Amino acid sequence: MIKQKDFKTRLKIAKSKLKNNSESDEEKRGSFIGFAFKLGTELVASVAVGTIIGFILDTWFDTKPWLIIIFFFLGSAAGILNVIRTAKRMQEEGEVKE
Amino acid sequence: MATNPMQQFSVYRIGPEIKIAGIDISFTNASLFMIISAAAICLFLFLGTKEKKLIPSKIQLIAELLYNFIAKMISDTAGSKAKPYFPFIFSLFVFVLFCNMVGMLPYSFTVTSHIIVTLILAIFIFVAVTVIGFLKHGFGYLKLFVPSGVPAILLPLITVIEIISYLSRPVSLSVRLFANMMAGHTMLKVFGGFVISLGLLGGWLPLGFSVALTGLEILVAFLQAYVFAILTCIYLNDALNLHH
Repeated sequence: MIKQKDFKTRLKIAKSKLKNNSESDEEKRGSFIGFAFKLGTELVASVAVGTIIGFILDTWFDTKPWLIIIFFFLGSAAGILNVIRTAKRMQEEGEVKE
Repeated sequence: MATNPMQQFSVYRIGPEIKIAGIDISFTNASLFMIISAAAICLFLFLGTKEKKLIPSKIQLIAELLYNFIAKMISDTAGSKAKPYFPFIFSLFVFVLFCNMVGMLPYSFTVTSHIIVTLILAIFIFVAVTVIGFLKHGFGYLKLFVPSGVPAILLPLITVIEIISYLSRPVSLSVRLFANMMAGHTMLKVFGGFVISLGLLGGWLPLGFSVALTGLEILVAFLQAYVFAILTCIYLNDALNLHH
C-alpha cells in the first residue's frame, strides 16, 4: 500500500514537472534556428524569381532591358516583405512562448 | 589521393538502361537510396507499431514521439482544419529526414542534395496548396494577393509584389534544402581531403573539424527536414484559413 502511495506522489510530481516545461528551451531554439534558415533563402529566392519573371516577360514583349530592371526591384521588395513577415512571426511566437 | 569533393553527387546507372518514349528512366543510385530510405521508414514504423504496449519499448517510444511531434507542429501552425493533411506532412517530413540521415552514412548518396528531387517535392506542395486554396475559397483565394488596408494607388504594385513572393515559395523551399545538404557534404569531403593531404603531421586539425562538422551536419539534416515540413504547414495554413 505504501508503495502505491509513493508511486502516486511520484507520478503527481512528474506530471506537474511536465506541465511546467512542456515547451523546453531546446525546442524553442530548434524552431528559431529553423526560422533563421528560412530568412536567408527567402530574400534571395524572391529576387531570383522576380528577375526570372522580368527576363521572360522581356523576351515576350521585346522590351529588353526595361522589364527585367523593374522586376528585379519588385522581386527585392517582395524578398524584404517576406523577411519582415517571417521576423514578425518569429517575434509573435517568442512572445507567446515566454 | 586526389578525389573530387563533388564526385559524391554523381548519379550513375545501376543495371540495364531502360528507355520509355525517349525518356531515360533507368534505375540509378539515386533511386536505390530513395528505396533504401523508404524501406528504412517502413521497417522503423512497422517495428514501432508492432507491439502496442502500455509501457512502450524504445522503438515504439521513438515512433510515438515522431507522431506527436508532427501532430503538434500541424496543430500549432495550421490549426485543426489541417488534420486531414497529417498523413501527407508526416510522410513528407519522415521521407526528407530519412533521406538526409541516410546520406550521413559513409559511402552513401544524399538524394536531397540534388535540386531536381527537392524542386519536384516543392512544386508538388506548391501546386497542391494552390489547388486546395481554390477548392476551399473559390476565386476568393485571390484575395491572398490583395492585402487589405492598402491605398488604391499602391494596389497594383503591391499585388505584383505579392504574386512574386507567392511564386518564390517553391524556389526558396527547394533551394534551401538542396543548398544546405550539398554545401554540408562538400565541406565534409573537403576537410576529409585535407586530412589525407596533410598526413600524420598536420592532419589532426582538419580531422577534428570533420568530427565537429559531422555533428553539425546531423543537426542540419534534422533541421532542414523540420523546416521543409513546417513551411508546408505554413503554406497550408494560408490556403485553409485565409486571412488578409
